[in-house]
Amino acid sequence: MSLKYLKEAVANNDTEKLIRYVRLHFGDGNEAAGRKEIDKAWMEALKLLLDVPATDREIILQTLADRDAATLAHLFFHLHFYFVQRSGEWIHDGQL
Amino acid sequence: MTDNSEATVQLRPGLWATVNKRYPGSMIHKDDYIPLAGLRKPLGEARLSFVSTAGVQPVGTMPFDTVHPIGDYTFRPVPSDAKPADLKIHQLKYPTTGALRDLNVIFPIERLQEFAREGVIGGLTENFFSFIGYNMDAERLERTLAESIAEQVVAECADAVLLAPA
Repeated sequence: MSLKYLKEAVANNDTEKLIRYVRLHFGDGNEAAGRKEIDKAWMEALKLLLDVPATDREIILQTLADRDAATLAHLFFHLHFYFVQRSGEWIHDGQL
Repeated sequence: MTDNSEATVQLRPGLWATVNKRYPGSMIHKDDYIPLAGLRKPLGEARLSFVSTAGVQPVGTMPFDTVHPIGDYTFRPVPSDAKPADLKIHQLKYPTTGALRDLNVIFPIERLQEFAREGVIGGLTENFFSFIGYNMDAERLERTLAESIAEQVVAECADAVLLAPA
């Protein structure tokens, strides 16, 4: 898929094409695997919060307030891979 | 008479059509054909550079952005006299198991150093050039990354360049 293909999907509000691309990206070209990877990252994040540990909300709120949306989007992709890696179940061929 | 048919100027005639047929919406729309450049001096006198998409980079440099959904359009110069221990791989899209055991299987830096020592080639440019192959914006890749690397290769007086996808 090309960038042009994705931009056309945005212009046409073709959400299925966009989420499919995200799944393919996270699943190394396998959409079903990508779907599972997204779930895996969220489960890993949830597990870390079950006991309601102290977290640094100040830095979270400050980051959300201070940083531009593109940087936060980039961070969002980093966080996905961070939690997937932390889960210990790594499907990717290479390394971060 | 010069034969300018596709078969004589391309290594793999019909490649782009095949790729686009197999991957609808693919980034590749290349209708022009780039003539192969001939070597202007014997290989034993030629200074060789190396350009790779393996995501190999010197330890301590900013890791390639392997998570960005649209790709990373930067490259890293890799000193051609570097040792494998001086280098790291940041790349998600190919199996690195073999390369982690012997970097030369994907980034043959020691083999090229040997060729230079043995006189098989005239020498090496001061740097090789590395980037990651996961790039969805083909125009940006061509306009920025490819152009920048080409400028560097020319600046380092390369007579020939070995291109190796990962």
